[in-house]
Amino acid sequence: MNIETILLLIPLLPLAGCLAAGLLRHQVGRAGAHWITILAVGISFALSAYVAWEVFYNDLPVLNYSVYAWAITDGIRFEIGFLVDSLTALMMVVVTFVSLMVHIYTIGYMHDDDGYQRFFAYINLFTFAMLMLVMANNFLQLFFGWEAVGVVSYLLIGFWFKKDTAVKANLKAFLVNRVGDFGFLLGIAAVLMYMGSLDYAEVFAATPGVEDQTISIFPGIEWSLMTFICICLFIGAMGKSAQVPLHVWLPDSMEGPTPISALIHAATMVTAGIFMVARLSPMFEASDMALTFVMIIGAITALFMGMVGIVQNDIKRVVAYSTLSQLGYMTVALGVSAYSVAIFHLMTHAFFKALLFLAAGSVIIALHHKQDMREMGGLGRIMPVTAITAWLGSLALIGFPFFSGFYSKDLIIEAARYSDRAGSTFAWICVMLGVVITALYTFRMLYLTFHGKSRTDEETLSHAHESPLVVTVPLVLLAIPSVIIGYFTVEPLIFGGALADSITIRTVNDTMIEIADKFHGPAAFGFHGFVTPVFWLAMLGVAIATFVYLFRPDIANWARTRFHVIWKVLDRKYGFDELYQNGFAAGGLKLADGLSRGGDRTVIDGWLVNGSAHLVGRAAGVVRRFQSGFLYHYAFAMIIGLVAIVFAFVSLR
Amino acid sequence: MPLTEIVFYLFGGILILAALSVVTVRNPVFAALFLVLAFFSAACIWLLLEAEFLAIVLVLVYVGAVMVLFLFVVMMLDINVAPLKEGFMRYLPVGVLVALAMAVQMFLVFWTRGSADQPMPDPRPEGYSHTRELGEALFIDYLYPFEIAAVILLVAIIAAITLTHRRRPDTKYQDPAKQVQVRREERVRLVKMKSEGGES
Amino acid sequence: MTLAELQLALPEIFVLSMACVVLMADLFISDQRRGLTHLLACATLVFAIIITLNLRVAPGEVFFAFSETFIRDRFGDVLKLFSYLVLLAVFVYSKHYLRQFNLFKGEFYSLSLFALLGVMIMISASSMLTLYLGLELLSLSTYALVALNRNSMIGSEAAMKYFILGSLASGILLYGMSLIYGATGTLELAAISEGLTMAAGESLLVSFGLVFIVVGIAFKLGAVPFHMWIPDVYHGAPLAITLFIGSLPKLAGLALAIRMLDNGLGGLHGDWQGMLLVLAGLSLVLGNFAAIAQTNIKRMLAYSTIAHMGFMMLGILAGTPEGYAAAMFYAIVYSIMAAGAFAMVILLSRAGVEAENLDDFKGLARRSPWFAFMMLMIMFSLAGVPVFVGFFAKWQVIAAVLQAGFVWMAVLAVLTAVVGAFYYIRVVKLMYFDEPESDEPITAPVDFRAVLTVNGLAMLGLGLFSGALITLCVNAFAA
Repeated sequence: MNIETILLLIPLLPLAGCLAAGLLRHQVGRAGAHWITILAVGISFALSAYVAWEVFYNDLPVLNYSVYAWAITDGIRFEIGFLVDSLTALMMVVVTFVSLMVHIYTIGYMHDDDGYQRFFAYINLFTFAMLMLVMANNFLQLFFGWEAVGVVSYLLIGFWFKKDTAVKANLKAFLVNRVGDFGFLLGIAAVLMYMGSLDYAEVFAATPGVEDQTISIFPGIEWSLMTFICICLFIGAMGKSAQVPLHVWLPDSMEGPTPISALIHAATMVTAGIFMVARLSPMFEASDMALTFVMIIGAITALFMGMVGIVQNDIKRVVAYSTLSQLGYMTVALGVSAYSVAIFHLMTHAFFKALLFLAAGSVIIALHHKQDMREMGGLGRIMPVTAITAWLGSLALIGFPFFSGFYSKDLIIEAARYSDRAGSTFAWICVMLGVVITALYTFRMLYLTFHGKSRTDEETLSHAHESPLVVTVPLVLLAIPSVIIGYFTVEPLIFGGALADSITIRTVNDTMIEIADKFHGPAAFGFHGFVTPVFWLAMLGVAIATFVYLFRPDIANWARTRFHVIWKVLDRKYGFDELYQNGFAAGGLKLADGLSRGGDRTVIDGWLVNGSAHLVGRAAGVVRRFQSGFLYHYAFAMIIGLVAIVFAFVSLR
Repeated sequence: MPLTEIVFYLFGGILILAALSVVTVRNPVFAALFLVLAFFSAACIWLLLEAEFLAIVLVLVYVGAVMVLFLFVVMMLDINVAPLKEGFMRYLPVGVLVALAMAVQMFLVFWTRGSADQPMPDPRPEGYSHTRELGEALFIDYLYPFEIAAVILLVAIIAAITLTHRRRPDTKYQDPAKQVQVRREERVRLVKMKSEGGES
Repeated sequence: MTLAELQLALPEIFVLSMACVVLMADLFISDQRRGLTHLLACATLVFAIIITLNLRVAPGEVFFAFSETFIRDRFGDVLKLFSYLVLLAVFVYSKHYLRQFNLFKGEFYSLSLFALLGVMIMISASSMLTLYLGLELLSLSTYALVALNRNSMIGSEAAMKYFILGSLASGILLYGMSLIYGATGTLELAAISEGLTMAAGESLLVSFGLVFIVVGIAFKLGAVPFHMWIPDVYHGAPLAITLFIGSLPKLAGLALAIRMLDNGLGGLHGDWQGMLLVLAGLSLVLGNFAAIAQTNIKRMLAYSTIAHMGFMMLGILAGTPEGYAAAMFYAIVYSIMAAGAFAMVILLSRAGVEAENLDDFKGLARRSPWFAFMMLMIMFSLAGVPVFVGFFAKWQVIAAVLQAGFVWMAVLAVLTAVVGAFYYIRVVKLMYFDEPESDEPITAPVDFRAVLTVNGLAMLGLGLFSGALITLCVNAFAA
């Protein structure tokens, strides 16, 4: 089997699995559905791992080829093609591995659900779409994958479509993503218009040529073309990767089943924006303005979304806000041109955040789908495996030295510190404070859930027990990379140039050179981690959490009343929802209502639609009368036609 | 005027008259007979053009076979032609108008083409065989179209049989073989009974 | 004549032989085992596909045979392959219908195969004589097929109309050919193309002949005002035959137009372009508007054919290789769509009653969601909704006509397509939003359902992967 067949199989197997489990759901049954889909993703993962092995260890050259030309018009090729380099290979492994874990976990989580086969079909479809996204070699396919993962996300948030909140949440996700996608589409259109191609390689080659070009959208205001394109594209990323102010859909997406929160809304889909910016690094490098914008947005998200996490009571929402905050960290890394660090954090985050979500899901199974942390506590004794793996994931999340998250997060902070970009100090402060916040909400969640006195009612508690093997095995399998993967990959990925073939950084922007001087191997970096201010900030957060939630729970209530205004602001999530609801949505409704009454019903319906329909109907009636059924009429019509044509084209020449 | 020209105009005139009569006479039998006459006149003109084979084939096939079949059909079907021609007068003016327009247009086309004198073709050499020429054309140059024409005829036969041949379930027909094999016992039953007046 | 020449014509020879075999074999097959005839006919097509594929010529290669009356090129090979495929689908669909309506006879198969032979001869014609003879072979077989159900008055009437008007059109075409022959002195299309430049003095005569030829072609395609036969014949013929004449002969019509107008009279492009413009414009307008007023789905599809042929002519009139390729793509796609649409009507018919009214489609989504979905895809494709293959077909011809510089024609085409979308989507509305009038289950044999499923999914598949088919068509006209 040659490499191209393998690459084709990797996305197509999950697609086939989806079709089998989705269309033939009655034929294959429940067990059949999970076997088929797990097998498809499993093989896909094995093949991805093989490809990654070839790329990283056997120096497989970068593959960039077209699989199928969908259409060619005016010299522009619309194609399906694969670009396989280190970045793609890394993403493929992460996506398929987390997907495989989630597939297995789902057997336990969705055990009693009616939509069992449907769920497996969806997550298989998601895997296909995500793979198409990361393997794309052109904007068209990127957009296809982008929208396809969006569709599956929509379907899965509303998986329990009889639940009102789920339907509202998926609608919200859909609408907010539309805003982002509008920007994204504008960006792609601008690329096509000014570069004349949708192919990555061709666009990157054309980038230096148009760098100095300016466009003027509004008369009198000149914008740099690259800034315009990059910001448009990044708006797309803001939608998908839930950056402020387009973040509002992600917390609500927790209405969906937990496995997909782990897979789609933590590990893979939401990182598509991060991936996209890294993939398009040659373009973003051409615009300092756009990178600054990216950095500021990321910094705001990292700090302020983390703060909301402190006041949440739903266990999944805490993890969701933590995801938002961590995505902000990645975005900051992108903004300071540390693309490889962003991807590194993306990878470590995928493992430990998926782990945390699945652990939260495990708790939820044990408590029969109760998610409120105020009704938990002391569960560590009942479900030790879940508690231990959750602890490991949490330590990775707060960046405890030697855990995977430590390496990636510390490097982001370092990169922000050494960056020369305007505003990088602000970003650095944000991410530093974010460390305290992260530690605070993470340990608050751990303590409220697994430690302290049990606040669960007797009835539920009596049924609570450790989850079955299909749930705990994925937890353990995810815990391993969460702990060690940073230690082993930090050197090759960040300083060894393993991602060099896919990421372009201009020397002026490259902060990693300075950091590389100070880096003396992962072990030294880890030991050094104990004496940095970052570590002590994290410990401060842990200490506050320990004191407040383990020993003096009354302080929390006291703080809530004492700092009522702040608490209120955080609880309202800074009022974004209200602003959108009352501002944009209500205003839009009023405008639409006016237009509908004035324009639509009178002009369009009254004159154009009904008027033309009447006209068409009358014309059709006339035509029908020609068809008399008499043979000699027909023959006569033919002869007259003949004579007329002769007259028009021969006699009148 | 040489003899050939007199013969040509004679047969040409008969041909035109006969052809007109085919479409104008009321009696279909007469029409068919006029068609025979038209064919025959055409065959004579072909003879003048030294196309002996074609002329003879025309007479043999069309006059001898096809037209006889035509007459047969016409006589058997006994169609009353009058109602078929009912609308004839009504549509005549429009029809004539269109036909006239067509004729004028055609005339114009051929008129503008100029009356450049077409040279007489060279007379055929001695011993030239028209039949052989025809054979070569048919079986060498135009073999492929000839075969296709044969297939068309085959299809015509199939179509004709398909459309006419059918076995009605209620049709009664005889089977001579069975008739011969019939035995007396199957048809006649001998009943023995006492004579009526026996008792009295 | 050499063996090599015979080999070039092997597909034709094979189909002819098998048509005769089917004809003879059927005589010895009892009514109960008529399925054998069906299998034999299907096998013929499968082998014809194999033979043509094996002997296919590369793009740009051209071979002549039989004193230049026969041509073998890429265009012909591609078109023949699709002819086999379409006829294969027609056979599978028809069997179900013919059985139900007591028309399951061997003649259907032999006549269809002869018609196919006619189509193939037209596709491979390089002389006006073969072109005409192929047309006659096709027409004669079709006349007989239309009259297949002799107990049906409306069928006989349709056959009669078709026969008389068809003969008239043949006569007109033949007259045009004889005028061209008179002006150029040859029957071979390639020689005519050369002779036209010589016969510059005869331009009036030539264009006079051209009008007659265009009219003959327009009749075959069913362009307005030579379309009158189409609604009556589609309506009157048994459904299986409507299915047949609605699909396969469209490919023949394309071949006739391309061979005659491009290969033969390409030099007169300026003359026939104007005629086709008028015919196409009229067809687009009348076809789409009249279809709206129909309540009988066979008639509706008949008028839709007229409109679609108008679209196809747009590609031809561009007169460029891209335009021809677009027209070819359109013809192939249309024949597949039409086969699927008529098959759906067959599916709804029950023993003895043709489901020819639009109302029969009411609530189909509830009676058979899968086939309602298939019909939805076929209707969307016919309407030209993006992603479905019909959209790409329309797009290609409109691009071709734009390139030829007829912006107003492109606008007219798009506008009429919008009008057309109305009656296609009405069918979808009937299927999905109306209450069913009967709750009889939809039953059909496995092969029927399988082929229909493939047919329906092809609308989507060919749309998503339209590049391959477009490339095939473009290569057919590669010099």
